[in-house]
Amino acid sequence: MLQTLKLLLPALIPSWRFFDWIAPSPRIEIKVNNDWQEFRPRPDHVSFPTMMKRMVWNPYVNENLFLASCAERLVDNPADQHSYEQILNRILADINDQKVTSLQFRLAFIHREGNALKKDIRYVSKIHDVSGAQA
Amino acid sequence: MSFDLAIRLTEILLGFAFIQQSMEHLYGPKQDQYIFIIRLILCLGLFIGFATHLLCLALALNTLFMLHRFQGPYNGGSDRMGILVLFTLCFVHFLPNLTWQYLAFGYLAIQLILSYFIAGSVKFKNLEWRSGLALQDVFQFSAYPVSESLRGWADKPRLLFIMSWAVIIFEMMFPLMLLTQTTLIIGLGIATIFHFANACLFGFNRFFWVWIAAYPSLFWLQNHIL
Repeated sequence: MLQTLKLLLPALIPSWRFFDWIAPSPRIEIKVNNDWQEFRPRPDHVSFPTMMKRMVWNPYVNENLFLASCAERLVDNPADQHSYEQILNRILADINDQKVTSLQFRLAFIHREGNALKKDIRYVSKIHDVSGAQA
Repeated sequence: MSFDLAIRLTEILLGFAFIQQSMEHLYGPKQDQYIFIIRLILCLGLFIGFATHLLCLALALNTLFMLHRFQGPYNGGSDRMGILVLFTLCFVHFLPNLTWQYLAFGYLAIQLILSYFIAGSVKFKNLEWRSGLALQDVFQFSAYPVSESLRGWADKPRLLFIMSWAVIIFEMMFPLMLLTQTTLIIGLGIATIFHFANACLFGFNRFFWVWIAAYPSLFWLQNHIL
């Protein structure tokens, strides 16, 4: 209960320091058939009508923003089981229709160094046997 | 705007914002859905205006469950503003006299002003924001742009420089918008366009609805004090 109240306090006394600096940006990557690929890559293009629809119905993007927060928390605290499970469960739900027997994810962080973008792998999960978890 | 009208408008707008959020969660994991089905029912009551003091209290408890379930707000700043508006309504409904209720609602209005002013101030102090480089980073590699094609905006430094300064100047000037009702309407109109653009470009649709829910507090404060 005390922990929940501690989570409430920043909402009641907010800091409002939005985007005060642009932090390294997380990407979740999953290993499928020995290849690392980005989990939920963004589409090439989003039309204006789709943007309008997303004003009231945007669960997928908001879930991705939540997963980005989980990735940041997990890198800050690798023992954070909650964030680990939130990411893992979403990946499991998404790969449900693919023939995958094992699953591993990693967290890459992209930042700028001078004029170049740099990608650091800051977390690698254990390997999960998911052969029995699929339909 | 009278106090009672401002409170009722806040309830309607917050009810709508929470209905929108809760509907989105019905798409999510099944084990979380019971929290949001309950929330949806409570928000419909808040929107309609039935026993809103009890519904605000129930929604506050529901919010604590949410915070526990996700170990924090689900969507950062937008959820925090929603929680602030909700708890302000709780205080307004349960504080014993009008002076304390005014203080609680005034606190929401002050926080709304600060949400723009502080956000602008921290950008102004940062050289990368003043040069447009920070916004270039947002488009180039942050997790926010909704499509790959938007990353191309990073190659338009002049446009991003102008956009950065437009945001900084607007956010820092925001407190001055309270000087008259006309400037306040203009200021909130610009703010609404700003949140709309953020929703289109970065998918921050929740910010749009929940910030609007706090606007009646500003109209009341402006009417009450100035």
